[in-house]
Amino acid sequence: MQEKDTVLEVKNLYKLFGPYDFLDERKAAFKLLELGASRMDVMETTGIMAAISDVSFSVKRGELFVLIGLSGSGKSTIVRCLNMLHKPTKGEILIDGEDITKYNEKQLQELRRTKVSMVFQNGGLLSHRDVLGNVAYGLEVRGVGKEERENKAMEMINMVGLTGYEHEKLSSLSGGMKQRVGIARALANDPDILLMDEAFSALDPLVKNDLQFELLRIQERMGKTIVFITHDINEAFKLGNRVGILRDGRMVQIDTPEQMLANPADDYVKKFIHNVNTSKVFCVRNIMSTPSCIVKDSDGANTALTSMRANGVSSAYVVGDHMNFIGIVTLEGALAVRDGKKTFSEAIIRDVLQVNDLDAPVADIVPLAANAAFPLAVVDEEKVFRGIITKASVLSSFVA
Amino acid sequence: MTSCLLNFPNINLNIAEPIDEFVRYININYGEVFVAAKKMLSIFINGINGALDMIPWWLMILLVVFATKKLMNSYRNGVIYGGLLFMIGACGYWHMMNETLAIVITAVIFSLLIGLPIGIALAAVRGADTIVRPILDAMQTMPTFVYMIPAVMLLGPGKVPAVLATVVYAVVPVIRLTSHGIRQVDQEVVEASRSFGSSSWQTLFKVQIPQALPTIMTGINQTMMMAVAMVVTCAMIGANGLGMEVLIAINRMESGRGIIAGFAIVIIAIIIDRLTQSLVQKEGK
Amino acid sequence: MKKKILQLLGMVLFVGLLAGCGSNNEKTVVFSDAGWDSVKFHNAVAGLIAEKAYGLKVETMNGSTPIMEAALVRGDVDVNMELWTDNVATYQADKAAGGIVDLGINFDDNKQGLYVPRYVIEGDPQRGIAPMAPDLHKVSDLARYSKLFVDEENPSKGRIYGAIPGWAVDEVMFKKYKHYGLDKNYVYFRPGSEATLSTAFVTAYEKGLPIVGYNWEPTWISGKLDLVLLEDAPYNQAGFEAGETAAPSVVVMVSANSRFPKRQPEFTEFLKKYHTSSALTAEALAYIADNKATYDQAARWFLQKHDNLLTQWLPPDKAQTMRAALKEQ
Repeated sequence: MQEKDTVLEVKNLYKLFGPYDFLDERKAAFKLLELGASRMDVMETTGIMAAISDVSFSVKRGELFVLIGLSGSGKSTIVRCLNMLHKPTKGEILIDGEDITKYNEKQLQELRRTKVSMVFQNGGLLSHRDVLGNVAYGLEVRGVGKEERENKAMEMINMVGLTGYEHEKLSSLSGGMKQRVGIARALANDPDILLMDEAFSALDPLVKNDLQFELLRIQERMGKTIVFITHDINEAFKLGNRVGILRDGRMVQIDTPEQMLANPADDYVKKFIHNVNTSKVFCVRNIMSTPSCIVKDSDGANTALTSMRANGVSSAYVVGDHMNFIGIVTLEGALAVRDGKKTFSEAIIRDVLQVNDLDAPVADIVPLAANAAFPLAVVDEEKVFRGIITKASVLSSFVA
Repeated sequence: MTSCLLNFPNINLNIAEPIDEFVRYININYGEVFVAAKKMLSIFINGINGALDMIPWWLMILLVVFATKKLMNSYRNGVIYGGLLFMIGACGYWHMMNETLAIVITAVIFSLLIGLPIGIALAAVRGADTIVRPILDAMQTMPTFVYMIPAVMLLGPGKVPAVLATVVYAVVPVIRLTSHGIRQVDQEVVEASRSFGSSSWQTLFKVQIPQALPTIMTGINQTMMMAVAMVVTCAMIGANGLGMEVLIAINRMESGRGIIAGFAIVIIAIIIDRLTQSLVQKEGK
Repeated sequence: MKKKILQLLGMVLFVGLLAGCGSNNEKTVVFSDAGWDSVKFHNAVAGLIAEKAYGLKVETMNGSTPIMEAALVRGDVDVNMELWTDNVATYQADKAAGGIVDLGINFDDNKQGLYVPRYVIEGDPQRGIAPMAPDLHKVSDLARYSKLFVDEENPSKGRIYGAIPGWAVDEVMFKKYKHYGLDKNYVYFRPGSEATLSTAFVTAYEKGLPIVGYNWEPTWISGKLDLVLLEDAPYNQAGFEAGETAAPSVVVMVSANSRFPKRQPEFTEFLKKYHTSSALTAEALAYIADNKATYDQAARWFLQKHDNLLTQWLPPDKAQTMRAALKEQ
C-alpha cells in the first residue's frame, strides 16, 4: 500500500483519555466517533475525552508537513503518538512500513534513539548541563563514546549557529538560542523524522522568523522529514509543503498552502485562512519566502551551478560568511565563470533591490517589486539575508 | 445515665499490653539479631569517631577554613568558623565534639542511605504518597522517648539506639524533599528525555535526579540540622558527647556549663548548615 | 450561624477559665512530682488523706528534680514528699535561705550503690541460668569480671552503668570507679535518664544477661527484680564522698515551702508525723507493678493493709474519718 517515498503513514488514529478504563465505555465512544459524533457529545454520554479521532495522513521523505489547529485540537497529542510518548488507543502508525504501535519497549527505545527525534515548545532542556551536554544527550543514552558524541554534537552546534557557546550554561542563553539547542539536540541523533511541537510558538516574532528561516535552511541541507506543529497559520503556510488542519481532534483538510487558499474545505478552514489575510499578510515578513538556492561567495561557480541544477532554478543568491546578502548570480554568469571569461566575484549582480524593514507594509514595496528584474532581497539591520519577495507573492497578497 | 454523656464511657480498651508483650517477646526470642546489628553499628560509629580523633585539631580548623573559602568564596567566614571551632576546643569540648559528630555523621549517612531510595521510590509510585505521608508525619511528631525506650530495650542503652532514634527523626525531610523534588521536575524535560529513547533508569539518573538536586540538597541539609538537634535527646539514652554535657548541666542547674555546651552544639550546627547551604546554591546555579 | 458557634465557643472557654481560676485557693495543696514512682506513690497516700480527712483540694505539678526544687522554693508547689537530700545540689542552701522547711523524715533506711541481679552470682535453676560470677561479692571483685559485663559498643571493655547524669551521686560513683581501678577494664556508662537505666536493668533481667550498675532502693525495680547490692568498705562520710566506702542511707525528707505550715497548720502536723520505710515503699511499688494498679488504688490498698499507720499519723477523729472513707467503694 505504502508508496515508496512515504516515510510516515498514520491510519485511522484514535486517542481516548478518560477516568474510565472500562471497555464498555470505550466501545461506546468508538461507535459514536465512527458515526461522526462530536467530541462534546462523546464526553457527555461516555465520560471519555476523545483527544484525536480517526486521523489519517502520510508524510513523504524530505517533506515538511505542518499540523495546525487551535489549542485542544489534538495536535500535540498526535505528535506524541508519533514517537509513542502517548500510546494511541486505536489505529496504525507506520514508519518505513512498520507499525510502531505494535512495538515493545525495547523496539520503541531503538526507534526513539535512531529514527525519530523531537523538539519541544519550551525546549525541554536539561538545565544542569551545558549546551554541549544537552546536544550530546541523545547520543549518550544510545551509548556512543564520549569523544564521538561530543564531536557530533559540536558539528550540530555549529550548524545551528551556536559556535562558541558550547560550554555556556543554559540559563545564560536567550529563548531563541535555547530552541537552537533543542534543534541541535534532535538533529544530533541523525533521525529520519524530526517532530517539532510548537517549537517556535513561545518566541518573539523576530526570533521566530530567524528560526523559521534557519529550519528551512537546515532542512534543505539535510533533507529531513519534518512534522511541525503550530497554531500560527502564517507559520504553517510559510514552512509547510503541505498543511493539515485539525479541529476538535479530527482532520479537516490536508493540502498544500496554495490549494488550501484556493479551495478551503469548509467554513472553518476559510475562517482559519481568513486570519492570514487580515491580520498579518500585510507586512513584508509575512509574504517573504525562502530562496531555494543559496551559495556563499567563497563557494565558487561550480557549487552555484550544481545547486541551481539540483533545484531546477536559473539563479542563486550569494551570501557572505555571516549570511550577509551580497547579490545574485545567474546561470549565464556562472557558466561564464566556468569558461574562464569572468571571475566569480565579477559574475555577481550586486545591484539587486533590497528591503530592509521586515515590518514594512506590503503596500509600500509594491512599486519596488513591480519594476524589479529579480525578486526583492529582504535583509535585516545586520544586513543578514532573511528571504526574498517575488512579484507574485506581493500581488497575491491583495487577492483575498 | 447522664454521666455517660458528660464523661467518656469507661470502655477500657487495652492495646498497650499486647504491644508490651510483643516487644518483650521479640527481645527475648530474637535478641541475637539485635546484638549482631548493634555490634556492626558500634564498629561504624567507633570507626568514624576514631577517624575524627586522628585528625589533629589545627588540621580540622584549617579544613573548615578552606572548605568555607571554596564553597562560600569568603575567607572572612572561614576565619569566623575556624575561630568558633577553636573556641569549642578552648572550652575543653574537642573530644566530646568528635563523639557527637560521630553520632551525627553516622545518623546522617544512614538517613541518606534509607531516605534517598525511599524518596525516589515515592516519586515513582503513584499513590504511595497517601500511605507513606501519615507514617512520615508520625515519625516527625511522635514524642521521641516513645520509640527510644523500645529501642533501648532491643539494643541496650548507648550510641546505637541514639543513632537509630536520630535516623527515625531526621530521615523524614530527605524523603519528603527527594520525592517532592523529583516530582517537580518539568514534565516536558522528562518527556524530552524519554523521547530520546532513555530507559527509565537513564531518565532517573541523568535527568530527574540532577534536575531535582537543589531540592534534594535542601532535604539533606535539613536532615543534618535535625540530626544535630537530637543530640541532647540522645544523651538521655546514654549517648556520650556534647549532649551529655548539656544534660548533666541541666540536671545540676549549672546554667553556665549548659549554655557553653549548648553553644558548642549551635556552632557545629551553624557550620554544617552554612557549608551545605552554599553547596546547594552552587548546585542550583 | 458561624457567629453563634463562635459565641458558644467563647462561652465554653470563659466557663472553663473561671473553673480554672477557682482551683488556686487556700484550700488547695500542691504536691511536687519529680517523676519517679515512689514519690508518686507517697503523693497519692498523702493526697488521699488530705482530701478525705482534711477536705483539701489536691494537685500535683510535674517537672525534673532541679525544676521542682526551684518551684518549691518559689511556692509554686507546697510539699515535696520525697526530697532526697543528697541528690538535690541546692538543698542546704535553700534551707539556709529560708525558702523551704523540713517537716520530717519520710524514710532513711534506703540503700544505693552498684547492684547485680542475684542470678549472676547464684544462678537461677528455675530459668536454667548457671552462676556466672560465683565469687562476686564486693565492688573490688568487679575488676576480674570485665569480660562478663562486656560493653557491646566497645567490646574490649566492660560496662558499668553509672548514676543519672547530674545527680550528686553520679560524681561519687565515678570516683568509686576510679578508686577501684575499674577504669582500666570498664567504661563508666552514664545512662542519661532514669527510664534508660531502668530499661537496661529490666531487659537484661528478662533475658537473664549479666549487668552491673548503679541503682537504689526503694524503687519498683528493687521491688520487682531480685538485685544484690555489692559490698563496699564500711561507710564514713569523707570516704563516701571520695567514692571509697559504701553509701549512707540518704535522708529522704518531707519538705515544704516555708509559708505552707502557716497556711495549713493542721495538715502540716500530719506531714510531720508521716514516716514510712524503704521496705514499705518497695512493697507498694511492687504491688503497682504486679497488679498494674494506679497510684490511688495502691494508696487505698496500702492504708487498708497498714491500718496502724493511720493511728500513728493522725489524730483519732481524723483517723476514724479516714477509715470510713477507705471503706467506701
